Amino acid sequence: MDSALFLDALANLFTVEVLLAITAGVVGGIVIGALPGLSGTMGIALLVPITFGMDPVAGISMLAAIYTSATYGGSISAILINTPGTPAGAATALDGYQLTRQGKGAKALAVSAIASMIGGVVSAFALLLLAPPLAQVSLAFSAPEYFLLAVFGLLIIGSLSAGSLLKGFAAGVLGLLLATVGIDILTGYPRFTFGTTALQSGIELVPALIGLFSLSQVLILAEGRDGATEAMTSGLRGRAMPTLAELKRILGTIVRSSGIGVFVGILPGAGGDIGSWVGYNEAKRFSKGPEKEEFGRGSLKGVAAAESANNAVTGGAMIPLLTLGIPGSSATAVILGGLLIHGMQPGGALFTEQADTTYAIMLGFLLANILMGIIAVAGARYLVIATKVPVRVLVPIIVALCVVGTYAVNNSVADVWVMLVAGLVGYLMRKVGVPPAPIVLGLILGAIAEKGVRQSLVMAQGDVLGYYLSRPLSLVLLGLILMSLLAPVLAKRMRRAVPQKAEVET
Amino acid sequence: MPENSVKPVPPAIDRRRFLRVGGLGLGLVGAAGAGGLLTGCAADGAASAGYPDRPIQVIIAYAPGGGTDVGARILQPFLEEELGAQIQIVNRPGGGGWAGWNEIVRAEPDGYTIGFINSPNFMTGYLDPRLGRSDVSVESFTPIANQVTDYGAIAVHPDDDRFSDIGELMAYAEKHPLIVTSTGVGSDDHYASLALSDRYKTRFSVLHNEGSSDGISDLLGRNADVVFANVGEVMSQHEDGKVKVVAVMRGGTERSPYLPDVPTMAEAGFEGVESWSSRGIAGPAGLDPKVVEILSAACRRAVNNPDHIEQLGSQGLEVDYKAPDAYARMLKRDDKSTRRLGEKYIWGPEAV
Repeated sequence: MDSALFLDALANLFTVEVLLAITAGVVGGIVIGALPGLSGTMGIALLVPITFGMDPVAGISMLAAIYTSATYGGSISAILINTPGTPAGAATALDGYQLTRQGKGAKALAVSAIASMIGGVVSAFALLLLAPPLAQVSLAFSAPEYFLLAVFGLLIIGSLSAGSLLKGFAAGVLGLLLATVGIDILTGYPRFTFGTTALQSGIELVPALIGLFSLSQVLILAEGRDGATEAMTSGLRGRAMPTLAELKRILGTIVRSSGIGVFVGILPGAGGDIGSWVGYNEAKRFSKGPEKEEFGRGSLKGVAAAESANNAVTGGAMIPLLTLGIPGSSATAVILGGLLIHGMQPGGALFTEQADTTYAIMLGFLLANILMGIIAVAGARYLVIATKVPVRVLVPIIVALCVVGTYAVNNSVADVWVMLVAGLVGYLMRKVGVPPAPIVLGLILGAIAEKGVRQSLVMAQGDVLGYYLSRPLSLVLLGLILMSLLAPVLAKRMRRAVPQKAEVET
Repeated sequence: MPENSVKPVPPAIDRRRFLRVGGLGLGLVGAAGAGGLLTGCAADGAASAGYPDRPIQVIIAYAPGGGTDVGARILQPFLEEELGAQIQIVNRPGGGGWAGWNEIVRAEPDGYTIGFINSPNFMTGYLDPRLGRSDVSVESFTPIANQVTDYGAIAVHPDDDRFSDIGELMAYAEKHPLIVTSTGVGSDDHYASLALSDRYKTRFSVLHNEGSSDGISDLLGRNADVVFANVGEVMSQHEDGKVKVVAVMRGGTERSPYLPDVPTMAEAGFEGVESWSSRGIAGPAGLDPKVVEILSAACRRAVNNPDHIEQLGSQGLEVDYKAPDAYARMLKRDDKSTRRLGEKYIWGPEAV
């Protein structure tokens, strides 16, 4: 980008209309994200027609601002009431809610805001500076790699199951089974639909997520034995801003997770929901000793890892969108519609003839991330007041939000039933100590794994093993999978050889 | 019974006309004729008097932000102006679109609940017996107006040295297996490649995906050999030189206005393999002919509005207004070819 173009782009960006649109997008996005059931994708979709009459820079920047802010917004409800507002916020709930229970809700929110902002800013720079080469990486990813990535992701279950590995895997397998419901995409055969139209498109992720996390959480809250409320209110007195030492401790995690997020973002078949889990798992893997033990029990690193990763996905997902016209996530698929309406065809022309508009949008996205961080950090102290609401008021409000939010996704009563059943299942599972997170992970990754392995069978045309081994990225992923499977075993062997104090395996 | 309920003419004439023109295929004659018939019929009716006097619900069987939804929202203001009534767009995704289409079929035929149908994609949902919708057929809908016809496009990688035009591709595919993309079992893109293999014995292995962008990604990464998609889905990548569209699956020699450098299949010597994905407005069976007349007349003016044509054109989508009878013929034709290919290759006893 030369300086004349840069100045043109800035001139396009700093107009009243554009700045107002970005601010509206940030504030609206945070609210949409925080409400369970309302996701960024839906917010963007509903606003696309409104952008028809707007200047392209204002319109598209606003959509991008909603996208990144809603991703952050999902963490607010995840942290405060253990009900992730968006699928990408599910990993944040694990540690975020524990922090709230310990009275550190405001700090968790501030860390989430800072991590989200850094993740978003890193991805905005990746978009501005590295878009074309990174887009090529996304093309090297195809069915075999998606299969292996999903398998790699499923190994995360091991680290989600604080307590019993067996229960964690049982929940994960249940998620995988649920992922098989619906019309088989390779043969068109309806599986486990019981003759209903509602199940032909499978178990929808958002209703399942709201049920498993939000509704089951409400049922636990309603029991009144959670012991959370007292500690939560005491948290109001704690400071929101993390100390410099704390920030230093989580900075490495944020940078790593941001990188992971950008990478997952550029893959067309994987979005923020997967990015946050991978970021979370890698943060845990890289931690040692007591820090590692903290994960799942209220780790600031856990919150930072998940949140920087899912916001980094947003900029990453726009890379193949703008360079190749291939959306990297469901939200960017909707933004693509907005681009085309404004006569902006993805590809070379965006970076040559329309470069002043394109770069203005990218800079607008960068600005939106910074603005989001400022608003979110400033708001952390006040948002946490939500936890002061007595349980008997909070419970009906969340239940109402669960039902309305679920219905709003597809205007579907059937989805509400899925949510209610998932809520009941989630509640019973919590009662017997089975974590709900692996079910969601199985549901997300099961579909990707199945599609990947079956598509790769078509692509391999007979020689499956040879096909996988002939693809460099497949080899890398196979290596990663083997490493994570064997590392604990090898570590145990070595410890046995050199007698030491036994450490708890994850 | 669309041919009885749709058109404001006596059934006897109707059926003869249908048989005569229906055999001709696309039947633009019928489209022109319908315009005259619509204005020629002005009997008063109790049910339709004052229609529309309240908002009309338009059901979209896909999620907000998808192609059909965006197209409908572009049409919305034009149609509201022509009808003088409010249009409420209701998204009902799920069940491969059938959550929404079922709602259209089961709606009260009063003209206040209509929706978009996507042909031939929606037909698999009632033709495939495995999906258990044998109670629905093309007759369950009253066609009102077609909005867009997006023709099939066949794209290859620009650096592929095995073939650089449709003739070479077809010749190669007769001898060698190729991986071709599809946007799902029973999608228009699936039928497009099946139609080629059926007629020209090409050896295509179909790689089903959930959207055209997945297929394009696989083509760009050289993981698939040929993309079957629609003009609107590959136009920008073709203009950008990322993919090479070798043929548009359209009859006759008239090229797509959005891909003027690409020959049609018929032009390249491959007759009888047309494919399109159309979006149009339909209501439940048994819609009052006078309501249909009011709606289709408003749709004609709204769809043919130059601003509407231009806004869809920016996405490579070809606006193609069809009056109720011409639209009905297009649906019947899609129903017939879909049924034949589906039985032979997807759900029939010999299908693999």
